[in-house]
Amino acid sequence: MSTTSLPPGLQIEKVDERIMTLNVGPQHPGSGHMRIIVKIDGDYIVDADPDPGYVHRGEEKMAEYRNYIQNIPHLERPVIHDSCNVLYPYCLGVEELLGIEVPERAKYIRVIASELNRCVYIQYWLAIYGIFLGHSTMFMWPAGDRELYIDMLEKMTGARVTHAYFVPGGIRNDVPANFEDMLLRRVNYFEKRIKEYAAIFYDNPILISRTRDAGKLSREDAIRLGTTGSTLRASGVDYDLRVKEPYDAYGELDIKVNTLKEGDSYARSKIPWLDMLESCNIIRQAVQKMPKSGSVRVKLKPNPKSGNDEVYKRVESGRGSLGCYIVSRSAAEPYRVKMSVGSFRNLICMPYLLKGEKLGNMPAVYWSLNYWPVEADR
Amino acid sequence: MGTATGIIKALNSGIKHLAVKRFTLRYPEQKLKLVGDGYQYDPNTGVGIAGYKGRHMLFHDHCTGCNLCSIACEGIAEAIAMVKVQEEWKQNKKSIMPQIDYGKCVFCGLCVDACPFYALYMTNDYELSSFTKEGLIYTPAQLQVKPNIAQDVELKFDNPRGATHG
Repeated sequence: MSTTSLPPGLQIEKVDERIMTLNVGPQHPGSGHMRIIVKIDGDYIVDADPDPGYVHRGEEKMAEYRNYIQNIPHLERPVIHDSCNVLYPYCLGVEELLGIEVPERAKYIRVIASELNRCVYIQYWLAIYGIFLGHSTMFMWPAGDRELYIDMLEKMTGARVTHAYFVPGGIRNDVPANFEDMLLRRVNYFEKRIKEYAAIFYDNPILISRTRDAGKLSREDAIRLGTTGSTLRASGVDYDLRVKEPYDAYGELDIKVNTLKEGDSYARSKIPWLDMLESCNIIRQAVQKMPKSGSVRVKLKPNPKSGNDEVYKRVESGRGSLGCYIVSRSAAEPYRVKMSVGSFRNLICMPYLLKGEKLGNMPAVYWSLNYWPVEADR
Repeated sequence: MGTATGIIKALNSGIKHLAVKRFTLRYPEQKLKLVGDGYQYDPNTGVGIAGYKGRHMLFHDHCTGCNLCSIACEGIAEAIAMVKVQEEWKQNKKSIMPQIDYGKCVFCGLCVDACPFYALYMTNDYELSSFTKEGLIYTPAQLQVKPNIAQDVELKFDNPRGATHG
């Protein structure tokens, strides 16, 4: 037998007789392809090794062969439910490279679109969390209610998912007539609907006994392991890029950062729900402060070029901080585009959380990390 | 809150929803109303007009065969090919017009943004399924047809029992 080392999971290892190795995945352990190699002793996990990379699409390499505008449709593919937020840092970066100032009205419409998109993403995430825990009502309700915002985004952008709405220089088109009325009716109804999730899901003793104290992440560990987004806020760290590094119109809005102290699966599942309620408030504020008319897009040259420069911009996406690093070498195409995604950073803490847990708790811990396989693989 | 109270509250919430209306669109019979006549773009102002990004519509009397839509699609979907047409137009010396393969198109609408002659728009038509792959390739003559679909259902919020369609 050759001595070359095989990839993890394929090696023939000498293990304890009591220990069994399980491969969870790579066919959809949740949503998206990803494998977790779990070693169990009876019902308890002794070791967990996440193995991402099955849905690697080479987005970053693809970006080097396309010009700044042609990069828009494929860069939003990693998370199609959250496509406005995924595209946001790229657009902010290119705007800084080209030295464009976005019109005031476009900034507010961007905020509204990305908050709507955040809710759409979280509802989908919550639906899967529900079905992971065997709560099929919690699958049906969010999956139905997210239709309200998908509808709204369809009217604004012209597509249900993968909107291709943000461009460097603003947004593709102005909002339709009667926009504020349509939006506020939906926001009010949506807020009323998601408040009803408390009785059936979040205050449900069965859910609490299932997820309370499962996969506990302390405040120190959350900071040390570099987690972000809802995972970090559930461990009691008050960190939200919309407040700490406000971009576009977020600086002028009053945003409350939701934090919980427990750091367990229950807290991690509750933070996105609280974020959705906060998103409704942000949308209402943005609609009020939005300039009623004006330009929404700066006209770019057909094939914009920028000088020798590099830029790093980040935004708060549905899964946490999402950064985009762009290097430009005076060409129509970017020299390098690198995305730093929240999903991958949250995955790092998973082996620590699963150690000593029961195998039945694995889905609850895994999905509470707000992890999206396709985004992590890019 | 005690365990029993919590379970009763959860069950009660479920029972209450037996009487709450769910907004279900009965799709083939009902079709959702969309904004406008589809996504359009004004090259003068550089801003689009809100609308659904569905099948394209090609205005033969404006198209100059300049290839810009096909160049915009390179590297995105490569769905647009320029083909020879029999018609003769004064502005279209080469007599070529875009032919779109909807098996490849991602409906991003960047071809519409690229057209400087108001020749290519998008429409509300999203029912493009076909039994063959060739059926998804729309020739310039097919793209000329204006779709006529009854889309008139909207979400209504005035019912106290919940939002409804229709």
